[in-house]
Amino acid sequence: MSAKARAGAVGLLGLALGFFSPASPARAVDFPPPAVASYQITCKLDADAKTVEGTEVLTWKNTTSRPAPTLRFHLYLNAFRNTLSTFWRESGGVGRDGHIPDSWGSVEIRRMTANDGADLLPALRYIAPDDGNADDRTVAEVILGKPVAPGETISIAIDFLSRLPRVAVRTGYKDDFFMVVQWFPKIGVLQESGWNCHQFHATSEFFSDFGRYDVSIDVPRRFKGKVGATGRRTDERETSGDRVLYRFQQDGVHDFAWTADPNYMVVEDTFREAGIGDVQLILLLQPEHRSQAERYIKAAKASLSGYGKVLGPYPYPTLTIVDPPWGGRAAGGMEYPTLITGGTSWSAPRAVHRPESVTIHEAGHQFFYGLLASNEFEEAWLDEGFNTYMTDRVLQAAYGPNHVELDVFGLHFPLGIDIHYPLDSNRRYFETADWDPLASYAWKFRNRKSYGALVYSKTALTLATLERMIGTPTMDHALRLYADRWRYRHPTTKDFIDAVRDATGKDWGWFFDRTIFSSGVVDYAVDEATCVPARPPRGLFEKDGQLVAGPPADKAHPKGWDSVVTVVRRGDVALPVDVLLRFDGGHVHRVSWDGEARWTRFRVSGGPRLIEALVDPDEKILLDTDRTNNGRRPEADPRAATRWSARAVFWVQNMIDFLTVSW
Amino acid sequence: MKRDGGPKALACFVRGMKLSLSKPYLALALWLMQLMMAAVLILPISNSLHAMLDRSPAADKMVANPDYGWWETVRRTHPDLLGNFPELATGLLSPEGIKWSELPNLRGIGAVAFSLALLATVLHAFALGGMLGTLREESSSLVTFGREGMRRMPAFLVFTFAAFGSAFAAYEWIYQRSGEEMSARAHALPTEPMALAVTGIRLLALVLALAVIKLLADSVRVVWVARPDLPPVSRFLFGIGGALGRPLRLFGILGVYALVTAGLYVVWLILDPSAGGEARFALVPLILSQQVFVFIRLLIKIGYYAGVSEALTRTPPPEYSYAAASAPPPRPDEPPLENA
Repeated sequence: MSAKARAGAVGLLGLALGFFSPASPARAVDFPPPAVASYQITCKLDADAKTVEGTEVLTWKNTTSRPAPTLRFHLYLNAFRNTLSTFWRESGGVGRDGHIPDSWGSVEIRRMTANDGADLLPALRYIAPDDGNADDRTVAEVILGKPVAPGETISIAIDFLSRLPRVAVRTGYKDDFFMVVQWFPKIGVLQESGWNCHQFHATSEFFSDFGRYDVSIDVPRRFKGKVGATGRRTDERETSGDRVLYRFQQDGVHDFAWTADPNYMVVEDTFREAGIGDVQLILLLQPEHRSQAERYIKAAKASLSGYGKVLGPYPYPTLTIVDPPWGGRAAGGMEYPTLITGGTSWSAPRAVHRPESVTIHEAGHQFFYGLLASNEFEEAWLDEGFNTYMTDRVLQAAYGPNHVELDVFGLHFPLGIDIHYPLDSNRRYFETADWDPLASYAWKFRNRKSYGALVYSKTALTLATLERMIGTPTMDHALRLYADRWRYRHPTTKDFIDAVRDATGKDWGWFFDRTIFSSGVVDYAVDEATCVPARPPRGLFEKDGQLVAGPPADKAHPKGWDSVVTVVRRGDVALPVDVLLRFDGGHVHRVSWDGEARWTRFRVSGGPRLIEALVDPDEKILLDTDRTNNGRRPEADPRAATRWSARAVFWVQNMIDFLTVSW
Repeated sequence: MKRDGGPKALACFVRGMKLSLSKPYLALALWLMQLMMAAVLILPISNSLHAMLDRSPAADKMVANPDYGWWETVRRTHPDLLGNFPELATGLLSPEGIKWSELPNLRGIGAVAFSLALLATVLHAFALGGMLGTLREESSSLVTFGREGMRRMPAFLVFTFAAFGSAFAAYEWIYQRSGEEMSARAHALPTEPMALAVTGIRLLALVLALAVIKLLADSVRVVWVARPDLPPVSRFLFGIGGALGRPLRLFGILGVYALVTAGLYVVWLILDPSAGGEARFALVPLILSQQVFVFIRLLIKIGYYAGVSEALTRTPPPEYSYAAASAPPPRPDEPPLENA
């Protein structure tokens, strides 16, 4: 880290820490939170058949005020069962790393019994609450013989067989690399309005209740010491049949993922920061990326530190970072409780923050998703978008600007072109700015591009804009308020808006209506900026009670310049904006405009010479889709364009030579 | 002297360079042609840049650095300008390559660039004819260049378009299709360096194929100019034979040419005159240094062609040489022949 970047990081984080250390939220929940859905799982990996056979005992509590006559389960792996699943239909067979191979996955429930011994399997049926797709098998409903009363806890024992697909979307295998996620029958979330248990969609992720996980994993001996999972490893012992049994336990989480690969290099480190956390970092690294171990570890520490200072400490004792192998990168860039997957390449240049940004982002999900367990199906921006906003802040503080990367036949090179956080790193938003309102269900965006650009980038730019409007300390106050109120629970957008209101003392509903809940775009522009020497008036003027030709003496020789500046709102969304007129001699005129009208005009007569006019001079409104029109000068200066034109001619001359060289 | 005797590759290239330097107007002519073609492509972009930048405060940032945000916005808000050229360039540098079937989708400068490539091919045929003809005449001028260029034009157009088509076919069959076929298999390999090695082998095969195409085409052109006394089919076959008979020497000349050109680029990158020009805003020195660089590149390019010509036609032994036999001395009672 450069000295400048380090100073920035210390400043930013110190500010946050100083501001929030005394926070004592009234509704905070201590660790571990009350368990709603807890699992005790024993499973066995068949590395040749690529299956996991297991038994789970689910202990579930009805926390609503109404009895529950049914239970609903996610059977995520059935998304890969065949091409008729909702996931396949929505994705068009395209995964996270290109086309999905014909390698099928499934989860079969072979036994399901209640704690009273009742066989529930005959009462199990597949449902499709989102799209009615009768061929989708990713949600199952079980009708109970006796409804679960409010406050009552039941236990269900389930035998299941999970077939893993060749990894194409988060879960599966590549040779001996296993990323076993979204793999067991998992209960949905019962709310006052009923079950919230959505199908597996091409763009949706998670929503579950907190609980305790106690998982035993039986793997072939060649995986010894090369297994990672959610939570703390509490046991490792060799068993008969040349196998090894692992046990992992964790309280206060809402999912469980594990991985195994005999090729893993295991790198361990510790993150220790007063008031933020004391965390064992376990990096499961591919040997070809051994030189990048330090990059992963440093990024994980920066993330835990940066997020922790704003949102409160990371409460778990471990964080496992998985580095997927070549060909298994579709498993990368994912978050699970206390376990994340990174992503890098063999030739990843140091000047490009690829492993760093992925690691910081996924580790950041431990807060936005892990602790603040919002509904990713319905309000994906609450975790992905908020997390992107925080990722950019941590990256900027810890590493400074990123750089453009050039891929040449699979090798990666940095170009000396800066990418600034958060504006440049989220430019994909502008491509799809008006495609969808951000407040849409994950699978109801026009396509993945729109989903990604809006959920991740628009949210990040919206929050960064809000931060610039209310100030970083106030923004951090709002975030901390939101985190403290909703840690280990299921917050919604309204809860964040309330936190902003309470932190600022003002209602910001109008801001979120125009950004989160709107598909409108923001674009302010300086349409006109002219400056001419002040001229005397012409015509007939009163002199001694008579009209005479020519101006009076005091107006005959005006001094200075007449300037006219017109600022227009080209976008359909209005936000308050500053306008700055810079004059010769260092004179500056700054005006705040509410931005509601389509245009506003500024006239300065007989003033100093106008140098330039800028709208949003401090770059507060990062949602502005076109910043190239945010400024104008009366005087033309052709030098920059000429230089680029000369450069372009030179490049084309060289290109012509290269192209004709072989014929 | 060996059967494949005559000067070594390096010596041929050095002689070629001497010839090239002795006729700088050839490089000048080529430079002018390239500059004019580049202007066709760049003028619309240049005008748009002036319209967008001249009165913009962003120009200050653009002088010092290529501002990522500014270019991204221009690409997005002016799709007619850059079109899908950036995507195509990215695809061209990818392990999978680009399909020629994407050509109809070209927009903006991408479409203009393709049209320009066709025009460049025609001009290339003309320039090669003029250059090779001029190189063979001791006393020559730009008039010779024009005359020889037009004189060889029909045949050279055929050779050049044949080589052009062969190069495209080589790209498609050797690089692009193999990339498409091997994409899934490359991801199934155990490590990324292995996948990179596979891409490297495919690239090497393509480069070799392109080199063979180039050397065959250049040999035919050289012999075509050197042996006007032979019928066309014989000249063509002698050209092919010349390439096949002296492969190492020709590859050597091509290798030296490639190395010298690469060295020139290394010097350019080290000196980095563009950066200096930006920092000091010295537009005239910047543009001059760019054009001098192009001119030197063209001198080396001409040196290569002269070197190939040397390798194939200079060696005097008639039984192995394709050089035209020198005319017998005029008899005393006969006036010397004059050029028609």
